Amino acid sequence: METLTYILKRIIQTIPLLIIVSLISFFIIRLSPVDPLAELKLNPSVSPATVERERQRLGLDKPIIVQYGKWAKSFIQGDLGVTSTGEKVSTKLKERIPNTLLLTSIVILLTWLVGVPLGIIAAVNQKTAFDRILTVLTGIGMAIPSFFFAVLLLMFAVKTGWFPIGGLTSPGFSEMNFWGKLADISYHLVLPVFVLFTISLASLQRQMRANMLDVLDSDYVKFARAKGLSDNAVIYKHALRNALNPMITLLGFEFAGLLSGAALTEYVFQYPGLGRLILEAVMKSDINLVMASLMMGAVMLVAGNLIADILLIITDPRIRVKS
Amino acid sequence: MIRRGIWVILTVLLAAFVVKGCLVKDVVPTNNNRTEISQKTSDLTYPEPKNITIDGVDYLQSQAAIGNFKGELVTSTIGEGPKTFNPFNCKDNTSAILSGIMFDGLLTTHPITGQPIPKLAKSFSVSPDGKTYTIKLRKGIKWTDGKPITSDDVVFTWNDIIFAGLGDTSTRDSLVIDGKLPTVKKIDDYTVEFTTPEPFAPFIRMLSTSIAPKHYFINAVKKGGADFDSFLSTTTNPKEIVSSGAFKLKEYVPAQRVVFEKNENYYEINTKNQKLPYLDKIIYLIVGDLNNEVLKFEAKELDVISLQGAKVARYKSLEPHSDFKLYNLGPDTGTMYLSMNLNNRKNDKGKYYVNPVKQKWFQDVNFRRAVDYAIDRKNMVLNIANGIGAPLFTPESLNSIFLNKNLKPYDKDIKKSQELLKKSGFYKDKKGRLFDNEGNRVEFDLYTNAGNTEREAIGVMVKQDLEDLGMKVNFKPVEFNSLVNKLVSTFDWDMVIMGLTGSPLEPNGGKNVWLSDGRLHMFNQRTPQEGKAKILPWEKELDYLYTQGALATKFADRKKFYDKYQEIVYREKPFVYIYSPVRIVALRNKFKNIYPSSLNGIIYNIEEIFIGD
Repeated sequence: METLTYILKRIIQTIPLLIIVSLISFFIIRLSPVDPLAELKLNPSVSPATVERERQRLGLDKPIIVQYGKWAKSFIQGDLGVTSTGEKVSTKLKERIPNTLLLTSIVILLTWLVGVPLGIIAAVNQKTAFDRILTVLTGIGMAIPSFFFAVLLLMFAVKTGWFPIGGLTSPGFSEMNFWGKLADISYHLVLPVFVLFTISLASLQRQMRANMLDVLDSDYVKFARAKGLSDNAVIYKHALRNALNPMITLLGFEFAGLLSGAALTEYVFQYPGLGRLILEAVMKSDINLVMASLMMGAVMLVAGNLIADILLIITDPRIRVKS
Repeated sequence: MIRRGIWVILTVLLAAFVVKGCLVKDVVPTNNNRTEISQKTSDLTYPEPKNITIDGVDYLQSQAAIGNFKGELVTSTIGEGPKTFNPFNCKDNTSAILSGIMFDGLLTTHPITGQPIPKLAKSFSVSPDGKTYTIKLRKGIKWTDGKPITSDDVVFTWNDIIFAGLGDTSTRDSLVIDGKLPTVKKIDDYTVEFTTPEPFAPFIRMLSTSIAPKHYFINAVKKGGADFDSFLSTTTNPKEIVSSGAFKLKEYVPAQRVVFEKNENYYEINTKNQKLPYLDKIIYLIVGDLNNEVLKFEAKELDVISLQGAKVARYKSLEPHSDFKLYNLGPDTGTMYLSMNLNNRKNDKGKYYVNPVKQKWFQDVNFRRAVDYAIDRKNMVLNIANGIGAPLFTPESLNSIFLNKNLKPYDKDIKKSQELLKKSGFYKDKKGRLFDNEGNRVEFDLYTNAGNTEREAIGVMVKQDLEDLGMKVNFKPVEFNSLVNKLVSTFDWDMVIMGLTGSPLEPNGGKNVWLSDGRLHMFNQRTPQEGKAKILPWEKELDYLYTQGALATKFADRKKFYDKYQEIVYREKPFVYIYSPVRIVALRNKFKNIYPSSLNGIIYNIEEIFIGD
């Protein structure tokens, strides 16, 4: 019951937060010098009447506050509006969200499945050759910017011809059977997943290693060892549980990055995800689309934190007692 | 510490060898000092398709070589892909190109001569007074769903969609003459007659507008407005779409590709009377940027690519070892220019838009010509466009059929510049600084849009060239939107480097630029309230020529007017033209029936292109 009221309280707290986020983003976009009509104005074959009509259609003839009010009203009613070219924002997002989710969830799954064990092993075998090599490799992984790494891999793909140059499916995709489709998608996913995996693996492995080392150094672990418990029992039963807590908070952030975390990599690999869509929308000051994505990002962040907190309550009795 | 260092080096080396081991060696670019692409567009004459009637069906017969029926061509579109497949509601280039593939127009453009030739129409004629256009349609040709294409469809397209102002209204806007629109009338099932209120030569180009199937569009048209705008959106099921082009939509995968497949009902046949097109599919990959496009071409995912500046040299050296060929399509339709602000009026607060001291310079034709002679166009072509370009002196692009060939290009001539300046009383002091006859230092701002690296580079070189004359140039690249704002509403600029794209077929599209009350008459922009205030004598002449040029009907007559207009611009230099980039396209060798055209590009005759053995 207590947990439930806590969750409810948290959800109510997010409402003013979302309003502030939406206000700030709306005004920043509208006050930026990007004029959605600039190109139209410079096109010799477009008449002034057409420019004026476009201005009215996009609502640019009204004061910003009125524009915001209009947007907020339809947003609350669940209508995300239309893009500047007249397509429904919700359909546009629906086309892209599954692709992005596919990429990011594979990456998160892989990094956690590999990163956490690697961190533990490295901590336990501290200062061995294995740990050293891993430290250097993760150092490289953390140092390379994702877009640069992605470009390098693309060039690698061009030179070797082993991998496709971006995209998600081959032109003949619609004629393949189920297994063919699966193979085709996996084939296209290898490089983008590899980029994101290497980069997030590095930080995750280091985080886990540091946590583990901290815990292994603490008095209760020394006590457990002194008591004569086996190494496995000390590490996996006592140390690991305590070392995992900070990772759960991290998981909350990972959740927030599910939809937006891969934008740069998506762009370089021409992956049909949200990244490219939003980038173009920002360039063109396509307000409804940008607002929808920003709000989505805010909601995901809040939700991610909430989930992390709830998970902590479940795993860590100390927090339960305090609340 | 040393031990750690060894670990670092060992690991890095290991990684490096693994990566290196996988690489296929690239061909070493041979050292060509000059990049010459000899392929001239005029080397090949395009065999124009002819009309032929078989069993009462008026086919179009391709006269090009006979090929194999198979395969696909993969090309690309930059950006985020089409926004709609409705040819009457395209606000962006990609949508217009893709919907243009699906819906043929009555006429099309001859790829070499630029004259209108029949497409969906069987023939056309213009009455001697230039007001009536009679179009004969092909008998027995069909939409993709098997229904016949008749004059009802043509009348419906023009009356109920275009003239009714549905969707994108630019076609309609450009046809209004003195507030009146042309009319269209059905004579019989296969004859249509268009009448313009006045003789209006540009109208013939409008007849290449797509024709819509009435039975498919009628419901959306009846609802009108927003319903029409969302009709044929990208979410439409491709199987439902009724179209007329050589290829019909097969599949649209957002942000990845658009696939077109052969239209079995297409009305073009080859000389063996087999139905075209040869290819089974054309695929447009949607790529976000130019770099990715290049990578895709090199990885053989794309069959055709257009190349910019620096890349041409590299591709030229790769060409002999590869399976593609470079084609030179000639100068681009874009024109890049330097303009001075001739505005000598005051705003509503009683302040001059341009500082009166500077006004005097810019109003002075000697000053403008001095600037023109000081600019080293050849150097810019060589250094900025990597030699892939041609100096430009006229407002019509170099591939325009209306280009005035008598206006000769010339080289930079600093002596001539100095003479011209001297004539107007400008003088240099001992330090080489330029002053006008009233002792004012010649100093002004030069704008262009930031982020456009080509224009920024031109700006730097223009600044250097003008500083040779002793002028002080403050080069200020500013954000595109603020620059547009300066040009079209606040008018507070001195000199600017901009570019405009025009049509190589129809100068009348530039009327917004050249008419003295035009919306883009940048060099002397007037507000709508000012009308034609303080018109200069040569501006008046331009107004006359532009109006008459549209009213004349014969090409030769029109050319006279447009020749004169180019002459005036050449003489008065409201715009100092700089250069036109040349378009270079790389295409895989396996494609045959390729007739590159500076007007239409390289795959305009897509139904005739086939894959050789």
